[in-house]
Amino acid sequence: MRILNLNINNVDYTVTAEDHDTLVNVIRNKINLTGTKIGCEQGSCGACTVLVDGEPVQSCIAPAFRYEGKKITTIESLGKAGELHALQQKFVEHGAIQCGYCTPGMVMSTLALINKNPNPNRDEIKDAISGNLCRCTGYIKIINAIEAYAKHINNEVSKISSCGYNGNCSNNNESEQKKHLVGVAKPYIEATKKVTGAAEYADDIVVKNPLYCKFVRSIYPHARILSIDTSEAKKIKGVAYILLGNELPVTFGVLPISQDETAIAIEKTRYLGEIVAAVAAETEEIAQQACKLIKVKYQPLHAFLEMDESIKDTGEKEKIHSHVKFNNNIHKKAELRFGNQKEALEAADHTLNMEFDFKGINHGFTEPHAATAYWDHNGLTIITATQVPHYLHRYLAKVLELPMSRVRVIKPYVGGGFGGKSDPFPHEIIISYLTKKIGRPVRVRFTREEVFLCNHGRHPSKIKMAIGMRKDGIISTLDADIVIDGGAYGSFGVVTSYYNGVLLQAPYKLNNFGFRTLRVYTNKPQSGAMRGHGAVNSRFAIETMLDVMSEKLNIDPCELRMRNFLDSDTLTVGQYRITSNGSKISLQKVMEQSDWKKKHKKLPNGHGIGVACGFFISGSALPIQWNEYPQSVVHLKVDLDGRVLVTSGASDIGQGSDTMLAIIVGEVLGINIDDIFVLAADTMLTPIDLGSYSSRVTFMAGNAAKMAAENLKNNILNNVSLHSGIPVEELIMEGRHIFTSDKKINLTWNEAIEMATRKVGALTVSGYYNSPKLGGDFKGAGAGLSPSYSFGALVAEVKVDTKTGFIKVINMWGAHDCGKAINPLAVEGQLEGSWHMGMGQAVSEEMSYYNGLLTNANFINYKIPTSLDIPDIHSTIVETIDPEGPFGGKECGEGALHPSIPAIVNAVYDAVGIRITSLPIKPEDVLRKLKEVETLNEKAL
Amino acid sequence: MITEQKTFVKALSIQDAINYVNSFSENCKYIAGGTDIMANKFLENDASPVLIDITDISELKGVSETANAIIIGPLTTLNNIQTNSIIHTHLPAMQKAAYSVGSPLIRSSATLGGNLLCENRCLYYNQSAWWREAVGYCLKCNGDVCIATGGANACFSEFVSDTAPVLICANASLNIINCKGESRLVLLRDIYTGDGVKPRSISNTELITEIIIPKNPHFKCSFNKLRLRETLEFTSLTSAVSFDNSGIVKITLAGMDPKPVYLEIDKTVPTQETSKQLLKLSRAVDNDFFSRKYRRDMVKVFLEKSYKELNIC
Repeated sequence: MRILNLNINNVDYTVTAEDHDTLVNVIRNKINLTGTKIGCEQGSCGACTVLVDGEPVQSCIAPAFRYEGKKITTIESLGKAGELHALQQKFVEHGAIQCGYCTPGMVMSTLALINKNPNPNRDEIKDAISGNLCRCTGYIKIINAIEAYAKHINNEVSKISSCGYNGNCSNNNESEQKKHLVGVAKPYIEATKKVTGAAEYADDIVVKNPLYCKFVRSIYPHARILSIDTSEAKKIKGVAYILLGNELPVTFGVLPISQDETAIAIEKTRYLGEIVAAVAAETEEIAQQACKLIKVKYQPLHAFLEMDESIKDTGEKEKIHSHVKFNNNIHKKAELRFGNQKEALEAADHTLNMEFDFKGINHGFTEPHAATAYWDHNGLTIITATQVPHYLHRYLAKVLELPMSRVRVIKPYVGGGFGGKSDPFPHEIIISYLTKKIGRPVRVRFTREEVFLCNHGRHPSKIKMAIGMRKDGIISTLDADIVIDGGAYGSFGVVTSYYNGVLLQAPYKLNNFGFRTLRVYTNKPQSGAMRGHGAVNSRFAIETMLDVMSEKLNIDPCELRMRNFLDSDTLTVGQYRITSNGSKISLQKVMEQSDWKKKHKKLPNGHGIGVACGFFISGSALPIQWNEYPQSVVHLKVDLDGRVLVTSGASDIGQGSDTMLAIIVGEVLGINIDDIFVLAADTMLTPIDLGSYSSRVTFMAGNAAKMAAENLKNNILNNVSLHSGIPVEELIMEGRHIFTSDKKINLTWNEAIEMATRKVGALTVSGYYNSPKLGGDFKGAGAGLSPSYSFGALVAEVKVDTKTGFIKVINMWGAHDCGKAINPLAVEGQLEGSWHMGMGQAVSEEMSYYNGLLTNANFINYKIPTSLDIPDIHSTIVETIDPEGPFGGKECGEGALHPSIPAIVNAVYDAVGIRITSLPIKPEDVLRKLKEVETLNEKAL
Repeated sequence: MITEQKTFVKALSIQDAINYVNSFSENCKYIAGGTDIMANKFLENDASPVLIDITDISELKGVSETANAIIIGPLTTLNNIQTNSIIHTHLPAMQKAAYSVGSPLIRSSATLGGNLLCENRCLYYNQSAWWREAVGYCLKCNGDVCIATGGANACFSEFVSDTAPVLICANASLNIINCKGESRLVLLRDIYTGDGVKPRSISNTELITEIIIPKNPHFKCSFNKLRLRETLEFTSLTSAVSFDNSGIVKITLAGMDPKPVYLEIDKTVPTQETSKQLLKLSRAVDNDFFSRKYRRDMVKVFLEKSYKELNIC
């Protein structure tokens, strides 16, 4: 330790630091400027970007002592709330901020660009931020914001509308919008906090006198633990506790039917990277050092690494889980049949069989998992980056054997989730146990490698699909045989198994349909839920096959789809209730905008265009935990000050649910967003919402908020009526006023609240949402049931380099039926982000293994598309007004992803005549297939 | 989190640096931009206990020219190389090469000297300490065998500098000063040993003071880099193909061997034959994001592209 003098934001700081300290460590942990984030610690994501003498520096790979005598600038030096820097203002207005975790780094990189080039063009902007990864936005709105800022400082009028929303909506009525909050583009209510670096994420929150937790992780994919020697580690000064699995024997898992995991491996390990011991110590460094001294003796067991092997009888080899019914590693078999597929295929005019192969992918959120737990007179409190505070609440109570009343889960700002923070995790349970045991707060944060090892990403899958088709292009049957690789534990896998099949029954009408999915255990990090859960890969399969059939039958692929779409207000073969359905209009929109008819089959070799459609659930109609508690509850309180407090368990992870709640409440009450304060996702203060997964929040929490607001409105009007003598039915609540049409009474909002609270005090009301009873009564009928479904279509345009096999996606035109865009700015952000993520799975992302060891657990070799890789994205919001959605709204954050991958692959076919059946598309596969086509053509000649 | 290193000192002049080196001897390492060293330290691949920071030595920065040569200070950042007018005039391929490194955030810190000396890479080496323990330690981290090849007794970590190939084609030399203050001039091409474990013949106590590129008004060079994304990537194959009025084509590849693959060949030799000769010199193994086969196939593709660009027939 020695003295370090740094000038940060024109303030001189003197701190003590180690010679090996990085700049980010000093800035965050010693000076408490936590606006600068840590994403990878290897200079590959840009979250930690600061300026040093005006130049961008990634502070995670910058030795702190280098910067004595330099001028360091962090996000905190820019504007603050109320006085934002113009660039920050543009980020806010343009919806460039979703989870907000990459935002400070993005802003700093932009400032470095502007310092050198005050008038950058779009390409220069993309280049300047190409070292800053964003996983939420697809970069479009960030680039727009920077472009608008550059125009602003150069006094040019921006072509991009000032609200940041491009206004491309099927149901646009500007004059109507002025009176309302719903349907008007609105920056996130917390955007200012995020853009100034003030928003606190899990690792930004400081507690007094904490211990730090680190883990010993298994170095074998499948092994018996013979012994763990902690004696040397215990000798290190500063080690507070060493925890082994036997202290936490209770199993857990997000689904009640898959309680197959313990917080720390007991007796044996099931994947490379599984936690076998945990150390709590005075510093992270001591904890890490102690971990290295813990000696674990293993007896390696046969490792099951491939799905094919896991299906088979294991013979003498020890299976991964003893609870599995037979002597194999099959976790779940899900099968449903409507009609006889074999007969239908035999009777079909045309049939097609294809096989597909998908690598696993990871969510790639920018904020690594982090949490702090403390134990006090109220019991346990944990502040953690989670999408599911309620489920974590339940499982902490279960594993720690505490009543739920002694457990409190707080979700701070979360730097992206996409399904990757939707399970209760071992690290959360471990630090909770440790703080209870030791009595001091315990913190943990993952390295990026640990994030990848924790995984819960999209299942690697193998799909065999057969379809039968009539001469006129109508699908007569569909049969899918699917195997998905669950990795070592259950997670959401049972649901994933069903979703792979059942979500094939729309958007096309099927009378004869069946599937079988096997989810297998393997000795790899576990798979789970990821954006578009379960249905993305099977969607890819059917959309590719429709493209093949359209070619075979010489029917335009769009036309073929049009002929097969389900109608609105109908039932699917598996009795899903389809209400509003924007399939046709979505497809029409993308056809028009992409100039489909002029391009398809008409572009030069190497250049092509492709289409696909999709659909998804708006929340699962059946809760994970079988009980009759509502799926979401919202409380409202208004007191004399007139501000409405919204409390909801819904978890905003960057998708904008807090803002959605505020908009809905404001709309019903006729007040402004500023009149509303949202307090969300704190299990002690907020009523239960099941969490941010399965695209349920707008529909369910939105409806609960709407009901609560209507109840509050009635309550206020009743009280005003009581005191004013005017019948309730004559009172109008609008524009922050309560009045009668003849203005006999015309109270401002605050006057009305003063009147309404007389004698009774603060008004508190509640609203809730319960799905209606839906679906058939056969086994498995509940899978994929949803009160509403979203629909969409996408056209992608690609160029293929036939020499290198590289694919460049140059355009994406997408349209998505979200029912009603409660906040069009947020909806567009979800669509662009979904398409960007789909493109990643299509062209660059995969989890690669070497003998069960993940080889690319970093942002250099796990290849998330950068700002230079993304195409131009043209989005259209389609509104169909769902009869049960809040103001007609339904999901938009997951379903949009579905068509993007097959559209790209179908475009590759249009460009060069090859069918891609395994993802991601690899340049060498493209070359091999091109060669095969060439050879075939030569033979034909 | 970086824990191994114990001392960090800052040299303000070349003499200062030499003094430090003499006081710490072999335990120390010079650090410039640090984008390579710090990432390797985070992974515990670099355990040098002493870092001597040279980024504030102004005499080692900047680009100048004489009648016969361009002289680049080794601490010139890649961003500065990318935008420098002298380099633009005489060596535009060098700008392209500098621009291809990492991301703009890397290039604002990373220096040319650092890029020439950056550590070789391998899928089985650039991993955390836990990972390398799990895989069983390869030759480059004191293990017994090469993991990538499944047991070879040699290390095939890839040489990944993107700027070196252009400079090698341009016949660049380095001025290097040792801890006694003695200078030596060495051809850049000659500092690379071909041993993946110890890929450079410059010792920890030596410092590059100048990168000297002879001027050649007829020098033309085509630069290509194989990477999946358009930024952030280390190379899987970098090619520099140069040509002047001598009739000889010079080709340097990175990413195909522990050292740069270098070939001089008559311009009349068909690219098919030339790529065969290059592949004979390349010891590429499956230790990269792209397969060995694909990278080898791309050598010919890059060559043809370059020949076309340079109008060599």
